[in-house]
Amino acid sequence: MNRVQIKRIVRKVGGVRKLLLLVLAASLAVTLLVDIVAVARILDLLTYLYIILGAVAVLYGIYPLYTSRRLVGYYWVRVKKNRLALWGMAFIVFLVLLALIGPFFTVDPTAANFEEKNRPPLGFSLEESVYDAGTRQFVTRVSTGTKEHFLGTDNKGRDLLAMIVSGARVSLQVGLFATGIAVALGTLIGTLSAYLGGRVDNALMRFTDVMMTFPFFLLLVFVVFIFGPNLAFIVLVIGLTGWTGTARLIRSEALSLRTREFVMAARALGASDSRIILAHLVPNVISLIIVIATLSIPGVILAEAALSFIGLGDPSVTSWGMVLRAGQQSLDTAWWVAVAPGIMLFFTVLAFNFVGDGLRDAFDPRSAV
Amino acid sequence: MLKMSEGHFQQSLIAMRQSWLRDYILRRLLYAVLIAWGVLTVTFILVRVGPTSPADKYLANVAARGQDVAQVTAAIEARYGLDRPIYEQYFSYVGSLLRGDWGWSLSTSMPVMKLLKTHWIYSFQLILLSSVFAALLGILIGIYSAVKQYSKTDYIATFLSFIGISIPNFWLGVMLILLFSVQFGLFKTYYDTGLPLFSLANLKQLVLPVITLGTGMLAGYVRYTRSAVLDNLRKEFVRTARAKGLPERTVIGKHVFRNAILPLITIIMFDLGSIVFGGAYLTEIIFGIPGLGRISFNAVFADDYAIVVAVTLISAFLVLIINLVTDITYTYLDPRVRYD
Repeated sequence: MNRVQIKRIVRKVGGVRKLLLLVLAASLAVTLLVDIVAVARILDLLTYLYIILGAVAVLYGIYPLYTSRRLVGYYWVRVKKNRLALWGMAFIVFLVLLALIGPFFTVDPTAANFEEKNRPPLGFSLEESVYDAGTRQFVTRVSTGTKEHFLGTDNKGRDLLAMIVSGARVSLQVGLFATGIAVALGTLIGTLSAYLGGRVDNALMRFTDVMMTFPFFLLLVFVVFIFGPNLAFIVLVIGLTGWTGTARLIRSEALSLRTREFVMAARALGASDSRIILAHLVPNVISLIIVIATLSIPGVILAEAALSFIGLGDPSVTSWGMVLRAGQQSLDTAWWVAVAPGIMLFFTVLAFNFVGDGLRDAFDPRSAV
Repeated sequence: MLKMSEGHFQQSLIAMRQSWLRDYILRRLLYAVLIAWGVLTVTFILVRVGPTSPADKYLANVAARGQDVAQVTAAIEARYGLDRPIYEQYFSYVGSLLRGDWGWSLSTSMPVMKLLKTHWIYSFQLILLSSVFAALLGILIGIYSAVKQYSKTDYIATFLSFIGISIPNFWLGVMLILLFSVQFGLFKTYYDTGLPLFSLANLKQLVLPVITLGTGMLAGYVRYTRSAVLDNLRKEFVRTARAKGLPERTVIGKHVFRNAILPLITIIMFDLGSIVFGGAYLTEIIFGIPGLGRISFNAVFADDYAIVVAVTLISAFLVLIINLVTDITYTYLDPRVRYD
């Protein structure tokens, strides 16, 4: 194959980025087929999500940001004026670092050690009566916080700090992946519905209405109950059920765009429907997409936490909801187990809300920031 | 030349609106039926697509008892019609739901309908009290905070409402139990079903659950009311009202409040579906209130399909009805809604 042939292929597919994505998708599809047919388990489901979303984020998120540095700089100046949004961003960066490198510095969050159970956080002490096997009597023991267990331990002696770090990883994974899927699906359905109109619009919107009628959390419980708890699956379910609000918002925004001159012009020049949607409609609602995505991450994280809190989470990973569940069961002895994951959840939600609000104000040309 | 008088013209306008309203309500009703059918179908498909069948749990027990599994499977399939073609199963499913037969709960050995009838009241009182608490307090604080914009109270209210929106309600519930039940011993840690519904003791044991469920809503309503009132305060009719020399109380209470409240009511109603039902589910689990959420939660761990399906369906139908009623009342009350 010479250069000309490659160029022709690239032009036919519509750009290098699309070609790369197609090649990646094809190879992943082949791997998935091998996985399913030969039960080979080359990659697990979550890794597929990692690779696809990572590729999309680099090709369609980071690369365009890099090429339009001036625009990014302009918005950064606007966002920077919102101090709460900056605090939010700082916390999110801290959380990402915690999730990425934290596990290398903490002990195994699942390792139970009953010798060390119910140890309070550093600086606190707890009086408890324990059964002494030597004297065969209950004796009162005062246990104090130690440096090894900075945040204390739960009723099985598992290190709370390690559990919190592991939970950060789970929550961020669920938050980012599920939101990625939901927002992508919502954007697709919203723009398709608005652009194609007529019967397609009617059918898609009626389906959206049906899905919206189910209370979100109940639908989640229902589906997880039927299909079983597994982190990758929970991510998929939240993604596949949480797109309705996005679809409606994007549709109403795209509806007003579709009669604008630049769309007419593109159509007059012979652009295909998919090109108009991907190259003209989606880039024009991108600021709305970013804001929706940021503001829907907290809901998704909370949904997963609530699921594991009631015992429907993936039992093989330690998430904040699960820690909170363990804490609720030992409220009268070890209060810190219930407090810590909740504070993390609360700050995470708050941080994403602040950032989302800041971005919305920055993107809104009418608001003076 | 025929000249229409002013009165005639107005009357024909009213008649037009009334006939349009009738059409609108009819259309909305038909549409609701369509959505209900969609909800039924989605639930049916999900249950059928799932990897386990409702009979699996039962079959595990059969195998443990040493009975012939194949024989029992055949008997169960014949009994529940699982051996019939899928479309026949679908029709019989829809038919029995319409007849009010919502299935048989294996874990409690009771018709699901009977369970729903005995347990709905606990969910209802919780949701009703929380909504009323959140709406009343939220509107009051919101108005006050808007009227006294940029005052200290306003800042505190805005700050607290931001916290209230972000606090996970199930964590709030656990913390309230920790603080008020475990540490101070003010409330019981369990829910007593023996108490009569309309008694002070029953109200007292609902205090923590109502705060748990209501805080998120309350914070939302404070924020909404505040911005709606601020919006309306800048409108021209407020300037007119003030120019007429009306006292500030009338301006706020009549002109501003009435314009701000109508959209708020729709928001409260729509909240019921999206947030409140999920929140009530969790609140009931935390506080052990035997409402629909709690029985569905128990059913999940007992592998009791009929109850889980029924609770999911019934909450979807409730959302549907609430949305329908809200839409129609809103259209009826607001004369500005367009005739198209």
